[in-house]
This record gives sequence, structure tokens and C-alpha cells, in this order.
Amino acid sequence: MNFTLSLSSADLLLLLPEIFLTLWICMLLAVDAIPSHVDKKVIGNLSIVGLCATLVTLIWFYINGKTGTLFNGMYVLDPMAIYFKIFIVTSTILVVSMSIESVERFPAFRGEYYFLVLMSALGAMLMASANDLVSIFVTLEFTTFGFYILVAYLREDSKSNEAGLKFFILGAFTAGILAFGISLIYGATGKLILTDIAQAVGEPSAALIAGFLLLFAALGFKIGAVPLHTWIPDVYHGAPTPVTAFLSVAPKGAALAILLRIFFVTLAGFAAEWVWLLVLVAIISMTYGNIVAIAQSNMKRLLAYSGIAQIGNVVIGLAAANKMGGESIMFYLWAYLFANLGAFAVVIAVAHIINSEEIEDYNGLNRRSPFLAFAMLLFLLSLAGVPPLAGFIAKLYIFVAAMKAGLIALVIVGLINVVISMYYYLIVVKKMYINEPTDPSPLTVSPTMTVGISVAIAGTLILGIYPKPFIDWTVHATQMFNHLNIITTTNPFTLPFGG
Amino acid sequence: MLEEIFAATQIGFPVLSVLVFLPLIGAMLVWMLKSDEFLIRITGIAITGIELLLTVWLLVTFKSHTAAMQFVEQADWIPAIGISYHIGIDGISVLFVGVTALLSLLTMLFSWDLAIEKVKGYVMALLALQATIMGILVSLDLVLFFVFWELMLIPSYFLIKLWGTGKLKEHAALQYVLYTLTGSMLMLVGIIILDLNYQEVALAQGIQPTHSFDFLALLTVPMSEGKQLLVFLLLFFGFASKAPIFPLHTWLANTLASGPIAISVALAGIKLGTYGFLRFSIPLLPDASRALLIPLSILALVGIIYGAFVALAQSDLRRLLAFSSISHLGFVLLGLFTLNFHGLQGGLLQMINLAFTTTGLFFIAGFLYSRGLQDDLTRYGGLVTPMPALAGFFLVIGLASVGFPGTNGFVGEFLILLGAFKVHWAFGAIGVLGVILGLAYIMWYYERAMLAPPQETVIKNDLKGERPVSTLRDLNPREWVIALSLTIMIFWIGLYPAPFFEMMDASVQAVVDRVSPSTRFVALP
Repeated sequence: MNFTLSLSSADLLLLLPEIFLTLWICMLLAVDAIPSHVDKKVIGNLSIVGLCATLVTLIWFYINGKTGTLFNGMYVLDPMAIYFKIFIVTSTILVVSMSIESVERFPAFRGEYYFLVLMSALGAMLMASANDLVSIFVTLEFTTFGFYILVAYLREDSKSNEAGLKFFILGAFTAGILAFGISLIYGATGKLILTDIAQAVGEPSAALIAGFLLLFAALGFKIGAVPLHTWIPDVYHGAPTPVTAFLSVAPKGAALAILLRIFFVTLAGFAAEWVWLLVLVAIISMTYGNIVAIAQSNMKRLLAYSGIAQIGNVVIGLAAANKMGGESIMFYLWAYLFANLGAFAVVIAVAHIINSEEIEDYNGLNRRSPFLAFAMLLFLLSLAGVPPLAGFIAKLYIFVAAMKAGLIALVIVGLINVVISMYYYLIVVKKMYINEPTDPSPLTVSPTMTVGISVAIAGTLILGIYPKPFIDWTVHATQMFNHLNIITTTNPFTLPFGG
Repeated sequence: MLEEIFAATQIGFPVLSVLVFLPLIGAMLVWMLKSDEFLIRITGIAITGIELLLTVWLLVTFKSHTAAMQFVEQADWIPAIGISYHIGIDGISVLFVGVTALLSLLTMLFSWDLAIEKVKGYVMALLALQATIMGILVSLDLVLFFVFWELMLIPSYFLIKLWGTGKLKEHAALQYVLYTLTGSMLMLVGIIILDLNYQEVALAQGIQPTHSFDFLALLTVPMSEGKQLLVFLLLFFGFASKAPIFPLHTWLANTLASGPIAISVALAGIKLGTYGFLRFSIPLLPDASRALLIPLSILALVGIIYGAFVALAQSDLRRLLAFSSISHLGFVLLGLFTLNFHGLQGGLLQMINLAFTTTGLFFIAGFLYSRGLQDDLTRYGGLVTPMPALAGFFLVIGLASVGFPGTNGFVGEFLILLGAFKVHWAFGAIGVLGVILGLAYIMWYYERAMLAPPQETVIKNDLKGERPVSTLRDLNPREWVIALSLTIMIFWIGLYPAPFFEMMDASVQAVVDRVSPSTRFVALP
């Protein structure tokens, strides 16, 4: 294997968004270090400016078809990678905009909060491009590192500390599993790059299967699929809410980019062997997440369990193992981004004033702030999949893809779960709109928060009512999966459509 | 392949889109108004009034004697998976549109002087409900149809939960939503299978686009009988739980007895579930419809008899009406699944008829409750003395609802029974038994509530205090308008149904041709 590094300026250009963001982050750190009393909001706003510039660069890359590979194939910039980078940067912008007001109240708040958020975002962007086992490991740890600190950011708060410790121990453990899996795969094939492994895999050996299972376990931990979800409720509950919001979207998206590359490229030929595993994970994640969510009394825990169920839905798209499955996952992520970040933004806005995240305290929210109640209503209905919101189109897309693969039983389980989820979402709706508030004083929402929530509302509505441009974009970005349409999978869940 | 007449050539503007979205715009308008009750209510009436005028124009412009889809509009929505914004009406849906417009206006009129909390939300929910029902009726794309079908749940939920009157309203709202949602989720699986079947054929024959949820496009592709049976079953859950058809009816009585009169009128008056069978199930799945003729007819007969018997035992007027609805839906289903011309024609006409008679009775129930009378009317008796006009309308509409000769119900039930006798004499005979039971439950209840010697003479009401029955006032002018307009429709269809038949006959004939075993699938263009 040849590891000579030759970087031309054209190659460096491919890294432009990341390099730019790195420099911007360094600059933020320098601004923060200036001893004079710089308002920390300035740093937040500067972060948004930097992220927006990165976003513009990425869009420019996509439109001009800038693609290529770097570092002997370790790092790849293809339309799918850019798609995921845009997703990650957008979610970071929303998270920062909803942080600016609320982080001020953290005890011992410093400007480095934004530094950590942006570093994690940078890691997630690199993850979207990771194309070999080593870069997967490095970028994944890079992303998680910032989160270890962010989750435990409320130093005085025992819940936050507990969450941080849990996340750290489990995260470190996962890193071990990941490294073990990588070594097994490398040992069996002698290759590291995902596309090379695909060719080197002849007849799968036990070591290789074990390797991929460990790899899947480590990534399953990141996206929080059952049975690797146990950290989610406590960490979501304990972490500062903006961090929870960030944690629930950006790293999950990046991990899904890697999962898509592994399942749809490296292991595409073995779809019939792994589909049952994903079907199982999808069914258990959805059902477990939704049923346990019913019993929650804390809004963040409710969203945590509903997030587990949403990931179950996403795994349906993976199990479909066709191009449309890939498209539907990527579209689903956008619907999830707007609805989930929007819901967390409302939680932050409410907690900012009443200092509580209990569902009971949402009683009569409509009286206190019709805007927040309406926004929450839209986000919850979108998460449930009610038309014409984004969540509906996304679920429909995933279900069509799965039906196309013949996974009718899986789709029926998915649809039953929609009904279950509707139950607990409606309970929150009922509390907001029908119950009387204990304290009817109106809630005020800060301007940056209003903008953030309005963007999420707009995204939820536009993706639902006029999704055509987004779907066209997704179809274009997933052209690397075209080979999947030729493969016909046979699996035990296929419906006999004979005659 | 059915012909299509586009709205641009027929009427010059997208009339159906206006009908669907005008109430939504109206709802937003109401939202922006100040909380002046009078202004809010008058806006509600104005919007529904404009809808009715537009609908009358539509009905006049509608071409009879053709099965073509009319006032069609088509635009891409999500071409990647074959979803389009395709709307249009034919002889099957046109009368439903008319009925929806009329009932929406009457509901607004009915609510005029009801003491309602949060009037603004109430009027908005009613307008949104009207918009979604209109959307369901005009959709020709199955996903679009599904979107409106699901959306209807949201205003319904709030109407039952926030403005319900019964003791069970908390429970009823959630029960209704979850019940219907479960059914429609299974329906969605059926819809996706239809699309995948289309894709299979399209790929084999090299047709672009390869995905379609379009009703008219789906009609052109052949489908194996096994697949048809599966899809039929999945759609059945969606339509039957909404209708509702026995044995998926358990939500109906709770919802109709607990919700406000407005939601009873919409859910029991506009027979969307059975409309779904006639619009989609039968034409799209002709082989399955034929194969399931006997089991579905038996299900219909069980519903007729069961609903009528349970109705006999009710003392709460709204619960009685709920069970009589189940019996009536049995008749409609019986008519539709004779799959012959008379049965289908009767089934369709009967759905329209019930929109006048069932809702008429619900309005009567509403009039009585607004006077402080509680659920169980049989314990008063002699209500005819203080309210002769109300009692008169109750009698006429009640008799029409069970098919008394001279009223619209007679025409519909007669055609249904004619169709049923053609299939098997026993089906017809049991159907006739249902008619007799219907007469029994409505007359017995009427006798106990209106004519029998007075028992309790004082009305005790939590809100209005005590007052003697003899001081109840008769119908006011606004209530006269509601009752009279429904009665006029009842006698119009009862005595001179020809214009209605002219509108629907060609479309009904097209369905008959479609399901008759001799016709094969239309070749692809």
C-alpha cells in the first residue's frame, strides 16, 4: 500500500469548507481570549456568520460539481458528502441561534461553548466524507470529543455531570468496539478503504462478519438505535438543552452517512444477509421508543424516546437496500432536523422563562404564547407524520422504498407505530391547547429565538407542501447508489406477489 | 380510460381549488379578526355562503350524461414518486360536493346563537373541516386524497375535544382519532401496493413515468386477483373504520353523542367511508369486489339488523341516531356491493339522502339541546304541545330517514332492495326486514318523546336552572330555514329524482361496466 501524500492546491481546494471553518474557529477562540469585556453574544453571532459562509461555500461546491478524493481515498468529496455537510452546517446554525439567549444563563459560561459546538460540527463534516476505516475512527472520535465536554457543561448540576460521565464511559467503550471491529475487518481483507473492501470480500468469513457487526454496533450507538440506546434518555435529560438538540441531529446525520456508505457500497452484495438485522433493529427501535415515550413526564425525555423511534424509521430506509431507501433516509433527515430542532427550540424558549421542562408545565401554553404552542403543534405533528407536513412526505418516502423491497410486514409495524406515537403527541397537544395554565402570565420570546423557530416552521411546511426541489436534489445526490437498483434482494419478509 | 374535461375550458377558472382553499383562507381571515363574536360568525356564514353559491354554479355547469371527469386540474407535486395535484369530479362526487357546501352553511347558521366558548377557534375548525372534506371529495390522486383524509382528523379532534357536550368527550376525541388513524395507516399500505403494481407494469412495458398514484392512471393497469384482494382488504380497513361499517363501528356512538352537533353533522351526514368504496375500491379492484360480493353483502345485512336492534334500545336521541346510521350504512354497502346498476345507483343516492335526513335529525337534536332538554327525551313526553313545528319536522325527517314513500329515503332504499333481490332473494328479504325495524325504532322513540302523556314537566339543567316544559319556545326563523331547506331537498328527491339521476347515471354505468366480468382491462394508450 502506498501512503505517499501529495497534496496539490487543487486538492486543498476540496478541503476549503473545512479549512475555512477551522480558521474561523481559531479566530473565535482568539476573540474570546481578549481580556476586555466582549459580549459573548458577539461570539455566537460570529459563529453564525462563519457557518453561513461555510454553507455558501458548500452550496457553491455542489452546484459546480466539485468532487474528488484525497489522501489515497481516505477522504472523499462526492455529492452525498456535500449533501450531508450542508445538513450538518444547517443544523449547527439553528442550534447556535437557539443557544445565544439561553447559554448566557449557564453558570460559569464562557465563549468556549461556541468553540466546542463548532469543533463538533467540523468533526461531523469530516465524518460525512470519511471513506476508510481509519478516517471513520478518527473523525468519529473527533466529533464525540466536543460532546463529552458539552454534555457536562452545567458544572454545578449533578444531572449534567452524571450525563457527561455516562456519555464518556459509554463513548470510550464504543471507541474500543469500533477499533476492534476495524482490526478484524482489516485482518480479514487487508484493506481499509470501503470500496476496496467491497472487492476484497469474497466469501465472508466469521472474523469479517464479527468485524462488521462490531462496526454496526459502534455506529448504532451514535444514532441511538435499540439495543444501543440506553445512554440516550439520561444524556438528553441531563445535558443543557441546546446541546441535547445538537446531539440529536448533527452526529446522527453524520453517522448515517457512514452507515449508508458501509451498507450500500461495501456490503451491497450481501443485502440478503444483513437485511434481517436491520429489520429487527428498526422494529424494536420504533416500538420500544414509542411505547416508552407514552410514560414520560419530562419533555426532553419524551423527545429522547421519540428520537429513538424516529431512528427506527430511518433504519427502515436502510433495510430497504435500494436507491430509493438511500434517498428517503436523506430526505427524512431534513424533516427530522426541522421538527426535532424546532421542538427543542420551543423547549428552550419555555424553560428560559419558567425554568422547567416538565410536560405538566406546558398546560395552557396556547394562552401564554400562541406562537410557541402553534410551533410545537406543527413540530409534533410533523414528527408523527401528519400531512401536509415534512414528516408525512418523509415517512411516505421511506415506506414506499421499503414496500418496493417487499418489506410489507416492516411497513405495517411502522404504520402501527405512527398511531402509537400520535397518542403521546396528542397528549402534549391537549395539555397545550385545552388544559388551563396554572400561571397565565404571557411568555416572551427573544428575537433570535423567534427567527430560529420560524425557520424551523418554514422548513417543516415547505418540505411538506412543496418538497419537489429537495427530492430532486436528494435523487441527484444519491446517484452513487444507482447500482442498487439492479440487485434484487430475497429475504424472508418478502411478500409473495405472484401471479 | 375516462375522458377528462379541464376546468379551464369548462368554467374558466380552477373552481375546485377555490372550493377547497377558500375555507382555509377564510379560516386565516377569521384568525386575524379581532375577537368580536358577531364579526367572526358573520364571516363564517359569508365564506360558507360563497362556497354554496359557487357550488350551485358548479352544479349548473356540470355536464350530465357523461362519465368524464370534469373541472379537472392537474399539476406536478412530487414527480419523483409519482404524486400529482390532480383534482376533478364526476357523477359520483358532484352531489357530495353540493351536499358538503349546503351542510357547512347550515351548520354555521345552526351555531349562530349557540353559547360557545372560543368562538374564533370554533369557526376556524369548522372552515378547516369543510376544506378537508372538499379536498377528499375532489382528489383524483390517491396520496392527495390520503393527505386530506388525514388532515380531516385535526379539526375533528379539536371540535370534539374543545366543543363537545357529552360526558365522554375526553375519551371520544382520542378514540375517534386513533381508530381512524389505524384504519388509514393500513389504507396507506394498500395505496403503496397500487403504486408498486403500476410500476411493475410500467417497467415491463417501458412507460414513463414509472411511478403513479393517479386514480385514472391506476385504472389502466392490470392487476392479479390475489393482489387485488390484499389491497381491497387494506383499503377496507381505512374506509370501513371511517364510515363506520359493522364491526368497526364502536367509536361512532361515543363520538356522535359527545361531540358538538357540528361534528355529528359532518361525520354522520357526509358518508366519506362508503364514498371511498364507490370512488376507489370498486373501480380499482373489480375482481376483488366481485369475489367478495357475498361476504360483504352479509356484513352489510348484519349491520342493518344489528344497528336497528341496538337503536331500538336507546333512550338518548343522539345514540339512537348513531346506531341508525350504522343500519343505514348497511343499506348503502348492500346497494354498492350488488355491483349492478340499480344497487349502485341506489347506494349512491342513499348516501346523498342520508346527508339530508340524518343531519336533519341531528339538527333537531341540536334544537332540543339548545332548549336545555337533556339527552334522554323519553322521560319528558308530550313535547309536541309546546313545539308543534319542531315535532312536525322531526316526524317528516324521521320518516324520510327510514324510507317512507314520497320521501327521498324511499327512492334510495327501493333501488337498493331492487338491486339486492337481483343478487339473491334472501338479501332483499332481510333488507326489507331492516326497513320495518327502522320504522319501528324511529316511530317508537317519536311516540315516547313527543306524543306520550307528559311525565316530567320540569327541565333540570345545570346551566340554565329549572324551567317547566310548557314554556319551551317553538322554532325560531333561523331554525325554520335549516329544517325547511332540508325538508325541501327530501321531497324534491322523493318526488322528482330525475335531475339527480341524470347527473350520476353515466358514471354509475361506467362503474358497472368496469366490474362486469365480460369487460377486460383497458389497453394502455
